[in-house]
Amino acid sequence: MISRLPISTVHLRRAITIASFSPSTATQPYPPPLFLRPLTYSAAPSDLAAFRRWATARATVDGPRLESSDGGPGASQLLRELSWLLEDATSQSNGKILMRADLDELYRLWKERIEERKPFQYVVGCEHWRDLVLVVREGVLIPRPETEMLVDLVREVEGFSEGLWADLGTGSGALAVAIGRALEDKGRVFATDLSLDAVEVAGINVERYGLKDKVEIRHGSWFEPLKDVKGKLTGLVSNPPYIPSSDIPGLQAEVGRHEPKLALDGGMNGTDHLLHLCEESATALRPGGFFAFETNGNIQSELIANHMSTKWANCFHNVKTVLDFAGIKRFVTGFRR
Amino acid sequence: MVLFSILKRSLSRNPNTKKPIFAAFLSSHSLNPLPLRSSFYLVRSRIRDPYGSIVFFGNAGRLDLSHFPPWFRWFSSSEASEISEATTSDGLTVDGIVAKGWAILDENEGDWKSHAAAIAQSIQLIKKRLQWKKMSVRLEQLSVTINKVDLWDDPVFAGRVSREHGGLMSKMKEVKGFEQDLLEHIDMLKLAREENDQDLESESMKALLNMRRTAKEKELEALLAGDNDSCSCFIEVQAGAGGTESMDWAAMLVNMYKMWAQHHGFGVTVVDEMPGEVAGIKRATIKVDGEYAFGYAKAEVGVHRLVRISPFDSAKKRHTSFAAVAVIPIIGDVSTRYQIKESDLRIERFRAGGAGGQHVNTTESAVRITHIPTGIAATCQNERSQHSNKASAMSVLQSRLDQLEMARQAQLNAEHTQSLTEISWGNHIRSYVLHPYRMVKDLRTNYEVSDPDSVLEGDLDGFILNFLSSSLDKDEDKL
Ligand SMILES: C[S@@+](CC[C@H](N)C(=O)[O-])C[C@H]1O[C@@H](n2cnc3c(N)ncnc32)[C@H](O)[C@@H]1O
Repeated sequence: MISRLPISTVHLRRAITIASFSPSTATQPYPPPLFLRPLTYSAAPSDLAAFRRWATARATVDGPRLESSDGGPGASQLLRELSWLLEDATSQSNGKILMRADLDELYRLWKERIEERKPFQYVVGCEHWRDLVLVVREGVLIPRPETEMLVDLVREVEGFSEGLWADLGTGSGALAVAIGRALEDKGRVFATDLSLDAVEVAGINVERYGLKDKVEIRHGSWFEPLKDVKGKLTGLVSNPPYIPSSDIPGLQAEVGRHEPKLALDGGMNGTDHLLHLCEESATALRPGGFFAFETNGNIQSELIANHMSTKWANCFHNVKTVLDFAGIKRFVTGFRR
Repeated sequence: MVLFSILKRSLSRNPNTKKPIFAAFLSSHSLNPLPLRSSFYLVRSRIRDPYGSIVFFGNAGRLDLSHFPPWFRWFSSSEASEISEATTSDGLTVDGIVAKGWAILDENEGDWKSHAAAIAQSIQLIKKRLQWKKMSVRLEQLSVTINKVDLWDDPVFAGRVSREHGGLMSKMKEVKGFEQDLLEHIDMLKLAREENDQDLESESMKALLNMRRTAKEKELEALLAGDNDSCSCFIEVQAGAGGTESMDWAAMLVNMYKMWAQHHGFGVTVVDEMPGEVAGIKRATIKVDGEYAFGYAKAEVGVHRLVRISPFDSAKKRHTSFAAVAVIPIIGDVSTRYQIKESDLRIERFRAGGAGGQHVNTTESAVRITHIPTGIAATCQNERSQHSNKASAMSVLQSRLDQLEMARQAQLNAEHTQSLTEISWGNHIRSYVLHPYRMVKDLRTNYEVSDPDSVLEGDLDGFILNFLSSSLDKDEDKL
């Protein structure tokens, strides 16, 4: 399954996908994200108000139950999502309500949100992440708020903006796009993923932000597709699957039932991919090159940091763990010697 | 044009000796007097015209300051630094005119004296609203500071002083210019009568009438002449004691301000909202974006009281609830803002718990930022990304620290409005009574209306303008 798609093939596939959002390679049809659809429909204010009342009632009644069952969304979170759903789906113009989906679809979407526990971001087809609006859909991990900080860590690296960067396991392309946007003339990002869904969606996001010249998406496993830049990388980031396999069945429904296992499952201790990445980084980075990994937190970060500054002490230095905003040691950073 | 400004200056500075020159000048053109005068009026009307007409307030609660003009004046700086009393050629001053007690008649009736008296009265009111005396004293202090040789050793301080100096100067110049215009028109008019020049007389009358109308606008503008009045702002509402009752009241107030802001075409965003357990909100911060948002909203600072039959009380008893309102300006001038050190901040995920990361799908990414040295914190939870929540919380924090800094510096012009923690619950500013009678009454101005619904739907301008004018006009020693 490890193959390197020439970038032109990716473009070709993407061109088809963008035009129709039709199932070109996937088996399921994916409708375009709500916010990108044309304002084809309209609704009477009273009908929209009725939807809002119904959806509010469902959120208020079901929210507390979902929250206590497996840490799902509570009522106030669902209400906020409802206002964002309407923000994405409707537009007011001269007192008229124009819509990007008809009311029937809104009813259906809200039922999917609550009854099927479909993540809100899949319902609307996008995730607001940093200052970006990223297209997402089933098959691709929804970027997490914690991961935003990896971009800040990269931006602190001296000379980052003219460097060659890699985003391993790019998913929706979140990190690659955010880093790509901050680069100057000579800077480039290579983004890899083993999942074809990810390659496709990342391509859409790279295209939407006009970064085709800065970000190159390559299909394949971790460093496999990056042989041509081996030893030349200024830095790399990765948020690899890190959840211990035994935790997977207990995940909240939004994650466990809807997000791709390939993006979550990190093997028995959750560290399979992280350890592989650490090892490979030693040869992928140029001397002085920077790495930043996201981990499952505290113990896992310490384990990885420990490994890198003991077992691979002759390869890396200045290895640190970095806290996320919840006070959890979420990241491991360091430099190649 | 050049000739005219020379004339104008000589006339107002040295009225008695220069009068003959003025007369001679005019008479030398007397064969063809019109071109001179019309070009003079042309120039003047070009100065005045851009003011356009300003719709200020009416019953519908509309008040639109979005096209307020910059106060454009035509003076050299040397003229401005002279704060000498302007007079007409026969020694009449603005105060002198008011003291004469000439009857002020309707615009279309009466002679020039009626116009002159009305304009002079407006000028006095404008000066009072601008706190003229304080302004002059401050300007003098600043001039002394600004002339010190070592001023620029501290560039931040120097920048602040020279900005304040420049600001005061242009405000005072503006009024002085207006004052001078009045006296010149009176001179012109008297001269026209002496010379029996009816064209000149009617043009001078027209000019006085125009000034009279402009003066009314300037009176209102002077209500919003505070340093930060033109800024956007945050409005914060906090429920008082009394549980659900007052949380519901706080939510009603937030709604009132949202609608008020929308009526004015201001942008409104909810930055932070802490919902109550049963209904309403414990506390909320909204951002109101637009010119003069702070100037108006600052009139709302204080405790608001509601009396009604509670919808939450099955016994249908009458309840009194309280909520406090604070208003913080969002200062535009970056150089005057409080300098926050990155290392003084603690940034926390709000309501975080559990493993986080890949384990969790959530659309909740609220962030709380605490400024450790002062303990001041800000939270934002309504943006769609953590990054945006952080940016938004940061801007609230910045404004709170700016407000604190203003209070500390207590500069003359940087008026400081109370923060929520400074507001005393005992001191309420307005009562909204829904039962047993219906009335909203401002306890500071005694302004009242008998239609609480319209007020709660955002029709606040009557209250705001009354408060602004009464707070600036009552204080006699401000002049
Ligand atoms: C947790 S997701 C991170 C996605 C994205 N970087 C983000 O932060 O939102 C992990 C990603 O790694 C990809 N992945 C899993 N195994 C991989 C492999 N062997 N080689 C490359 N990518 C892989 C998954 O498809 C998924 O997109």
